[in-house]
Amino acid sequence: MKIRILRNDGSKQWWQEYSEEPHKGATVLDVLLNIRETQDHTLAFRHSCQMGSCGSCGMVINGKPSLACQTRITELKSETIRIEPLYSYPVIKDLVVDLNDFVNKHRSVKPYIIRKNPQELEEAPMEFRVTSRENMNFIQYDYCIMCGLCVAACPTVALDPQFTGPQALAQAYRYIADPRDEGFQERQPELDTSHGVWRCHFAGSCSFVCPKGVDPAKAIQLLKREILKRKFVRGPRAGAPASVLVQPEKPISNPPKAPPLDFKMGVNQNE
Amino acid sequence: MKESWTMLLMYALGLIMIFVLTFHLLLVSPLTGRTFAEALSYNYVLHNLTYYQIIFGILLYAATIHGLNGLRIVLIEWLHPGRFQWIINAVIVVLMAMLLALGTYTLIAL
Amino acid sequence: MNKRFKSGLLTSLNPTRYNLERWSYTLHRITGVILALFLIAHIFEIYHVTLGIAGWDQTMAELSNLGVIELIGMWIIAGSALYHGANGLRLILNEVFGLLLGKPRLPEYPYSPLSLGRNQKIAIYVITLIVVALWIWAGLYLLAGLGIVRW
Repeated sequence: MKIRILRNDGSKQWWQEYSEEPHKGATVLDVLLNIRETQDHTLAFRHSCQMGSCGSCGMVINGKPSLACQTRITELKSETIRIEPLYSYPVIKDLVVDLNDFVNKHRSVKPYIIRKNPQELEEAPMEFRVTSRENMNFIQYDYCIMCGLCVAACPTVALDPQFTGPQALAQAYRYIADPRDEGFQERQPELDTSHGVWRCHFAGSCSFVCPKGVDPAKAIQLLKREILKRKFVRGPRAGAPASVLVQPEKPISNPPKAPPLDFKMGVNQNE
Repeated sequence: MKESWTMLLMYALGLIMIFVLTFHLLLVSPLTGRTFAEALSYNYVLHNLTYYQIIFGILLYAATIHGLNGLRIVLIEWLHPGRFQWIINAVIVVLMAMLLALGTYTLIAL
Repeated sequence: MNKRFKSGLLTSLNPTRYNLERWSYTLHRITGVILALFLIAHIFEIYHVTLGIAGWDQTMAELSNLGVIELIGMWIIAGSALYHGANGLRLILNEVFGLLLGKPRLPEYPYSPLSLGRNQKIAIYVITLIVVALWIWAGLYLLAGLGIVRW
């Protein structure tokens, strides 16, 4: 089996070919690790958990951005595997790309809960209530592992490097849809620009390549609807959500006491 | 802020054009009982432009604004001009004004 | 015209290996540019009506000198208008009203994004069917104008 890798040493790039006979069930990451161990120790790539939860090993495999640890060789059904660094990112070396811009865009949409009174986050006077139905509106976007595959697949990012990108926009919607959040007015100047949310034309490739089922395309369409809706609707959702801060319905009078710690079971058993 | 109003205009004009452009295409379609060459004859075109003057006026303005704004978006994405974006905006606005002037003159002068 | 621009244009206009919506995006963009350029030419063309019957007939004669190229051009523009309109209506439903995107739910393995789900696929197939049918109809009509096909 031939593995063709787009190498890059910072000044020039070239295709290098390796031949490898991977065992049945091997992933692309296994093959890359094997190449580095046995053939070419100068090959550079990022990887960490090898189980699709850290999002380090994103690369373009046979033309599709995917996580190397989640792509099996047998699934690819081809004798030659082409591996490139992620599209639309500056390449540092071989398959390692520069994620600075990506992380800065994530920061720029303020991905945290904003209250008009920041004191409430430190010392909440009452309970912040999120019903399970409200939670369902944004829980999906919490599964993002920031692997950057959606940005590599996005046709608009490929053209316009200033575009905020599907990952950041999905996170922006995750916090705007949160009933505890009051930061819509603060985020709008970041989103509603000529390089913001409106440059998404719903090609849907971000959702297609997402390894976690986050569905950024859906979040961005709902974000557009939200921005248009808040132009005309001035309801409770437009300003401060009144129903979020509530008194607990039943004040807990006699909290059940935890059983006293049994130190005999612990480390001190032998003492 | 500005961009969402522009896009709202795009969506609204697009919706309007679905109806108006359908009407425009029906006028040159076989449902009128004419062949394509007959549909382009001077008398027929003149009759349509004067009889449905308001509808064609709406179509002219909707199509020009929608189309050229779309072209502006495509140019911004394809050329990514950065701080020279105002040049593209200016060219599009001038072109839009020229086309609207020419089209309005055509509709009124008949 | 730097290297990044060229590779970006190729990446963005290459819908292969992606989903159905990527093809819609590519077609929507290409037809949009075709229609915008045609619009500019069309307004100049219709302006010749003000020159009277002689001026109009001369313009039409010059255009029909192009023959087959004009015919194919008109056919492509008719198809572009049909597709751009039908797909634009779907995009308005998606982006302004948030329809066809599926209900909120937890992602479950194997992940299949709901925004590219069944509703969206059905909408795209219906659009394709309607547009292709009307496009063939328009093509026969254009041929009838030349007398090649009897209408």
